[in-house]
Amino acid sequence: MTDTRFGGSAGLLQRLRPARVDVADLRDVAETVLPSLTTARLRLELVRRSGAGSLVVLEEDERHQRVHLAELADDMTRAGVPATHDGISDALVAWVANRPVTDAAAAAAGVAVLDWVDRAETAIGWRVVVRRGALALPWTPSSSVGSATLDRTRSAATGRAGDVPLDLRVEGPVALWSHPDVPLLATAALVAPERMLQRIAAAGLDMADMHVVVTPRRPVACAGPAIAARLAGETTEASVTVAWARLADLPWL
Amino acid sequence: MSALPTGDRGPEVLVPHWLAAPQRTQLATAVRQALTSRLVHPVAVIHLEDVLTELHVAAARDAVWPASAARVRLATGWDDDVLPVRLSAAELSSVLTLTELPPSVRELLSGNGTA
Repeated sequence: MTDTRFGGSAGLLQRLRPARVDVADLRDVAETVLPSLTTARLRLELVRRSGAGSLVVLEEDERHQRVHLAELADDMTRAGVPATHDGISDALVAWVANRPVTDAAAAAAGVAVLDWVDRAETAIGWRVVVRRGALALPWTPSSSVGSATLDRTRSAATGRAGDVPLDLRVEGPVALWSHPDVPLLATAALVAPERMLQRIAAAGLDMADMHVVVTPRRPVACAGPAIAARLAGETTEASVTVAWARLADLPWL
Repeated sequence: MSALPTGDRGPEVLVPHWLAAPQRTQLATAVRQALTSRLVHPVAVIHLEDVLTELHVAAARDAVWPASAARVRLATGWDDDVLPVRLSAAELSSVLTLTELPPSVRELLSGNGTA
């Protein structure tokens, strides 16, 4: 599985013959990059230790991470990060951007989307994600989140999802929904299928028994049941087809 | 991949025909002309309407999952507008009976030639 925590994927050759990311180079980059990424809530610190090796400490609200610099350098090497100052710097910025989502961020800015339930990509469910630039990162509730807070966060995320602006393209009997910048957000509109139906009708398409073909991170296709089956049945890619009235029954992840 | 037992009809097999955008337009035009001429058998009308649907679905399929067709285009050197249009045997034979069908498209659909 490709490690996406360090930004864009490396070329095949780079992954097969990676140049080693040196710990000393990473430490030099971290010394200049980490302070520039620190905010009032996000504490990023390089802890120099002579014997046990240096650590990167990342703290944001209830989330705490302590990562050995040597481990991080090894992970970067395996991910094919170019062993240059700019390459390591970009990878470190991407690593910080991919940090876990805090409970407060999920409550304040979470958006409900559909994602795979499992790595085998056999089923889908609702998930709260938080947008950071071009990324949409999943929220895993911390152990301190009670059921009332969980419900409130999910409910607010559902409300926000309906307001995510999506592009609609009509291709004959098929309506295609996509997000211009963040592919995972393409399913956000599915929290309010009636509003989707209104927009589809306004575009001139009559779709009484709308079925939705979902592959998380790909555009969402809406069509009648027979056409949805024809669309999804003739591809080797994983997808789940759901009648619009059943969308609300999908589980939360 | 599993073989169906003999005698079991199973789901209808759709066979991909790789057509470039102008050829898909020519196919759609020929089908529409036939459907408006009212000289087509009612059963063939259903198949031809399904062909029109498939032309849209092929484009939608490529918009949702572009990778698999892109891999084939990369391997064959075909242009970016070449897409697999998947037709059943009944749909294909309904199309091949159309006198309006341009010879180049007919050749692509009836043979194994592509784009």
